[in-house]
Amino acid sequence: MIFKLDKQADVEAGLFFTLFGGLTAGLSLQYRLGTIAEMGPGMFPLILGIILAILGLVILTKGLLGSGEKAKSLPLGPAILITASLLVFAFLLLSVGLVAAIPAQVVVALWASEHFTWKRAAVLSAGLLAFCYVVFVHFLGIAVPMIAV
Amino acid sequence: MEFLHNLDVGFEAALSLTNLTFCFIGVLVGTAIGILPGLGPLATIAMLLPLTYSLEPVSGLIMISGIYYGAQYGGSTTAILVNLPGESSAVVSCLDGHQMARKGRAGSALAIAALGSFFAGTVATVLIAAFSPVLAEVAFLFGPVEYFAMMVLGLTAATLLAHGSFIKGVAMVLTGLILGLVGGDVNSGTYRFTFGSFALTEGIEFVAVAMGLFAFTDIVANIRNDQAREVTAPSFGNLWMTGKEFKEAALPVVRGTAVGSVLGLLPGGGAMISSFAAYAIEKRVSRRPEEFGHGAVAGLAGPEAANNAGAQTSFIPMLTLGIPSNGVMALMIGALMVHNIAPGPYVMVSNPEIFWGLIASMWIGNAMLVVLNLPLIPLWVRLIRVNYWILYPIILAVCCVGLYSIENRVLPIYFAAGFTLVGCLFWRMRAEAAPLLLGFILGPLMEEHFRRALLLSNGDLAIFYQSPLSIAMLSIAAVMCLVVLLPQIRRGRRAAFGEEA
Repeated sequence: MIFKLDKQADVEAGLFFTLFGGLTAGLSLQYRLGTIAEMGPGMFPLILGIILAILGLVILTKGLLGSGEKAKSLPLGPAILITASLLVFAFLLLSVGLVAAIPAQVVVALWASEHFTWKRAAVLSAGLLAFCYVVFVHFLGIAVPMIAV
Repeated sequence: MEFLHNLDVGFEAALSLTNLTFCFIGVLVGTAIGILPGLGPLATIAMLLPLTYSLEPVSGLIMISGIYYGAQYGGSTTAILVNLPGESSAVVSCLDGHQMARKGRAGSALAIAALGSFFAGTVATVLIAAFSPVLAEVAFLFGPVEYFAMMVLGLTAATLLAHGSFIKGVAMVLTGLILGLVGGDVNSGTYRFTFGSFALTEGIEFVAVAMGLFAFTDIVANIRNDQAREVTAPSFGNLWMTGKEFKEAALPVVRGTAVGSVLGLLPGGGAMISSFAAYAIEKRVSRRPEEFGHGAVAGLAGPEAANNAGAQTSFIPMLTLGIPSNGVMALMIGALMVHNIAPGPYVMVSNPEIFWGLIASMWIGNAMLVVLNLPLIPLWVRLIRVNYWILYPIILAVCCVGLYSIENRVLPIYFAAGFTLVGCLFWRMRAEAAPLLLGFILGPLMEEHFRRALLLSNGDLAIFYQSPLSIAMLSIAAVMCLVVLLPQIRRGRRAAFGEEA
């Protein structure tokens, strides 16, 4: 469940920034560049993208030369489960409503923890639902659908 | 007279029942999150921000700032009682504060921390009230050239003073600037980087960015560190300090306040840097430096005052110039923008009740914290023991409801999910996310000033070297970049942040 290649923080960061900067620069070419005096919408992102790509290459070089920082090991399971719990919430909120979105989110998210039990998930969901209803719907008047129709 | 009149306007706004209530909620929540380990002010404010959108702007801001400085108080309570900083600025309070607690002086340690913070908060409030109008006057003289130069300086300094690698920090600022450009271009009306999707035309929701990068990424990072904590509960008979301790604490508090007030003003400054600096100074001026680390009163009082002063004076650049000096201030600017208030020198003129109301509320909030903190310690002690597995599903659900409530649609939740993955990646690559948020908030503004400056000069880049203010700011930024590349300073910087890791 844990990424290997533990020393490569700067290699990864360098690659990321180079690609992101390059992508930005490339995409900004589709907009009008204009002149320095009267810049079009493409100019500023192009400049930023190029600088970022250069910085990315510097970081990458540093990493490849071995003077970079050590990467932290990312707990892959929790990262995926927490993200999934957000997606599940968003999906269920509009199709079924908060009554389904919160329990589903709690189960998926709690699955990432070693303290998961069904009983804990049930109690937490019930408490959260009551809390959300009283505070958000009742007091703050947020139009979040308890049951979507 | 002007000063008194302004404060009068402020107190009138802050003392309304609604605003007092929100101030109270803010400092209460702030203290609680300062105490709960693994939940920082940035994540909490991101979490609660959407819920304040329905409030009056002044009430919302009062509550948010209450959370920020309340967290400083709460953070030191955990630091003293369990030797765990609930909040990064309380790291140094662990050193001597917890030692005091272990020697049976937990009560007086808490009292010193609370009263020192209150003194610092009072001084900082007066400073904000006195200096903000002056600084705003200066800001009125700024043209696009000066604004652009100031943003470059602000972002450079903020990256330099934030922890982590400097070059990666700069790259993160640039990434943030680029992400901030997504959506409609003000000058031409062109939609940029929207990939033909209607959802992106108004740009990326900044609360979604903040929640994904901070709140949710923190959860992933913390989920496996759910350990039990040992609490040194104070005996409540001696919840007061002795006369000797009061004397020992007095001067360090004054010094800490001064250090914190100055460092809070700097871009990238704020609570954390202030507390580290104050500790170093106290240790140097002390006649008995060997006591430090073994329960020296000065080693607790100085940093405690400094972190609170720093937390508060960091509002000054945000309120007067519209430049965020740290992540929390970036969120405050975002909150102002949601209410259609452009942060900067004009806020004071156009919305005096917001400006002065916020300042007055800080003093009221600090007073509440002293009253609130000491008697509620038994409750806080119980709060420290809350398990993380209970906490994080609550954070997730509240955040999701908040994201939905911004515009009554689920799209921001999907964005937040995306930024969670990106945030995890950044966390793994040791790239600090706070500079990205600063860049994200400043991106559109910076582009506008850059374009306007060059339009005025007819495309001549020399315009940035023709205004003395601009020259000064850009050269300071350049010197900072050069200096950070010198090995000796880099080592010192690493040492300063080393204790936190």
